Amino acid sequence: MIFLVSFIFFFTCILLLCYVVLGIFSTRALRKYVYKNSFVNYNDIATSPLAPNVSLVIPAYNEEKSIINSVTNFLNLYYSNYEVIIVNDGSTDNTFELLKEAFSLQKTNYFFDYKIPCQKIKGVWKSSKPEFKKLIVVDKVNGSCKADASNAGLNIAKNQFILNMDADGIIEKDSLSKLIKPFLEEKKHKVIAAGGVIRILNSCKIEDGQIKEINLPKKFFPRMQVLEYTRAFLLGRMAWSELDGLLLISGAMGMFDRKIMIGAGGYDASCLGEDMEAVVRMRRYMAEKGERYVVTYIPDPLCWTEAPSTLKDLKTQRVRWAKGLVDVLKKHSVMFFNPKYRNLGMLGYPFWLIFEWLAPTTAFLGMIYTLFLAVTGAINWQFFALLSAFIYSFSIFLSTWSVLFEELTFHKYRNKMDVLKLIGTSFVEPFLYICIAWFSVKGNVEYFMGKNHWGKLKRGM
Amino acid sequence: MKKILIIAGVFFAFLITSFALQSAGVVAIPNLWTLHVSIAGTEIRVVDALIVSIIGCISIMLILLVFMLFNRTKRERREKLKQDLLVKYQSLILAYLESWSDHDHYFSSLKKLLKSKFRKQLLIDQICDISLNAKGDVSANLKKLFFDLRLHKITYRKLHSGHWHKKIQAFKELYALNITDKNKVIYKYINSKNDILRMEAQIALVDLAKEVDTNPFEFLTKLHHSFSLWEQITLHQIMVQRDLKVPDFGQWLLHTNHTVQMFCLRMIREYKQINNQARLKYLTFNTHPEVRKLAYEVIGDLQLKNVMAEVKFNYKDEPQDIKLEMLKSMTKSPDIYLLSFLQNLVDTEQDAELLIEAVKAIHNMPNGDELLKDMMSKEYKNYNIIIKHVLDHRIN
Repeated sequence: MIFLVSFIFFFTCILLLCYVVLGIFSTRALRKYVYKNSFVNYNDIATSPLAPNVSLVIPAYNEEKSIINSVTNFLNLYYSNYEVIIVNDGSTDNTFELLKEAFSLQKTNYFFDYKIPCQKIKGVWKSSKPEFKKLIVVDKVNGSCKADASNAGLNIAKNQFILNMDADGIIEKDSLSKLIKPFLEEKKHKVIAAGGVIRILNSCKIEDGQIKEINLPKKFFPRMQVLEYTRAFLLGRMAWSELDGLLLISGAMGMFDRKIMIGAGGYDASCLGEDMEAVVRMRRYMAEKGERYVVTYIPDPLCWTEAPSTLKDLKTQRVRWAKGLVDVLKKHSVMFFNPKYRNLGMLGYPFWLIFEWLAPTTAFLGMIYTLFLAVTGAINWQFFALLSAFIYSFSIFLSTWSVLFEELTFHKYRNKMDVLKLIGTSFVEPFLYICIAWFSVKGNVEYFMGKNHWGKLKRGM
Repeated sequence: MKKILIIAGVFFAFLITSFALQSAGVVAIPNLWTLHVSIAGTEIRVVDALIVSIIGCISIMLILLVFMLFNRTKRERREKLKQDLLVKYQSLILAYLESWSDHDHYFSSLKKLLKSKFRKQLLIDQICDISLNAKGDVSANLKKLFFDLRLHKITYRKLHSGHWHKKIQAFKELYALNITDKNKVIYKYINSKNDILRMEAQIALVDLAKEVDTNPFEFLTKLHHSFSLWEQITLHQIMVQRDLKVPDFGQWLLHTNHTVQMFCLRMIREYKQINNQARLKYLTFNTHPEVRKLAYEVIGDLQLKNVMAEVKFNYKDEPQDIKLEMLKSMTKSPDIYLLSFLQNLVDTEQDAELLIEAVKAIHNMPNGDELLKDMMSKEYKNYNIIIKHVLDHRIN
């Protein structure tokens, strides 16, 4: 019993210490980024004939509500050399028909290789109108996952860089210039992938696929996720990028070197966390070839996406994330404390395994154990109160720290009340951790029981 | 309902087990209240550590919150002040530039406004902004105003600051105002380890070169650091925007730094300096694959038909991505001399991208349509799908 108590206690202390260390690294990286980018003129890259070509690969499955506005948004980015590849993944609604009609699509005699296996591509369509010449629509048989559709897009794309993103995401106009920059800068090692900050779209005013007004979500769950995303992106991933231990670039938006991605085998259609898996596999591919590389991350908010607004949808999302995480960790277990993979093997992978994967389970175990002590009357209520107060105050402190980062860097929320509301949310958020921990445990249980299907999320757009 | 029953059952079983374990005396709970941890020989009571941590977390959180709100208020006030000052500065500067008789009046009005560092910096920014689009007398008067207000001291101080971002601010101010006195100091940074400092030093030198009538790219000769594509794009944009004198980039084509070679290749293409054909041919044998690839790209863009024999000769030894560029260059400079080579490729290559490009190259030849139709109807029937792709004007 003493072992269990000590384990949970010291595990928590080390985890919190890790967060502080990551926060310090993140502060350093953010400071450097903000100074460096205060001199950058992104117009230069956006209009330059020397700028490299980029292919946007956007899988779309039953997106009839938003597809036209999204494609219009994708076609109007502030960058000269790019193409937009929409992959209709066998939608059962009117997604493809709407696209055909709105953009005057015609089937072409497009020839390509299945360099990466994917479901059959039925046709490649292009617009008859010159104003939509950047648009390519790929119609394929449904592959039951985003990874298969992304692979189809990869087979069609011809450009040096790939930007993979969700069809329902709203991309900032200058995102391509900002994301391509790390690939063009002088670095000691080759940049193979770059990610940016994803923000929550709920309650923002949208017109013609563009954000007209940024607002903090009115509902509690999306607002809680604003805090979570700010912490994860500005505190966590920024630090991991600095430490060269970044395992994940969000599936909502990420840029990749096409040659490396194809060399690594594209997206794994059998994996539930295909975005994370692709980054890990690309990194393994480079490390196993003995080539030095980096995966970078920029703190600019580049893409806006809708977050689950009910507990049910949040559960579906988190259960899927938990399954994805355990699947990726299991598939790449060879990296665990393996010096061949440098910081990724020695720091990144162990952290994700011990803290990101094990923490919710440990927390859940701790909660059950506390309940057991309470029932048996063996609980030391004073110590329990003190420990809870410590966890609670630390959680609020960490959230405040991340809100500070947002304030000092991009301050997207212009209203002073929004900052106070965010801090207010951080006071309530810790009470919901029990749900988040439960979703994670449920995801793990379902994964090990073989229930590995994607849940369905409701979108409000 | 079934789920609720199961959960209730599990919870009930849990309660019974807990009571049973307690009654049997199996549960032995450690007293954490008295737990001690030894850190570097010092015994620390966990409880004390927790109390200190809680106080620390709450204090820092409150400090951060106050700082955030204060910072926001300060930013809003500064923004308002900035807008007011910009209007005042703009009207005073324009009045100063337009009026010859009342110079002193406007000068002293401006001077009165310079009460703080913030106000001085704002005026420097404003003068620089106007100067960037000014020429002749206006530019000279702005420079005079800048020196008379002794604002140059702030710029020079920043130039010698230990902070790289302040140095860059100084570079920007110097080239906006065409001040060449400090070129030697800027030159020191063209090989700086800090990539952004290095790039800004290069931009400043290129921009200031027009003032001293020297070759703006003289620094390339001494550049041994990697010259990133980002730097190249920025410098090219400066050349276009400021209408700078374009040197012959062929002089650096044989530079030992391959990134400088690549920049020159790009510039040779942009400014169509076809007089460098011999050096371009030489670069197709360069040991660096990226240089070779770009050389083939430029050869194609400049339509240098005389080099096609070398391109054809080198083809078999190159990797896929360079082969693709070679075929693209053949497409851009079509020559009937390459027909049999390309037809042979269509027969032997397996890669879809290479096949498409080879067929495109045939298509671009005189009577290309007929050549392809001939291929479709006769011996190359297997490649109909590729030919259809090439002939589809919507794709290409």
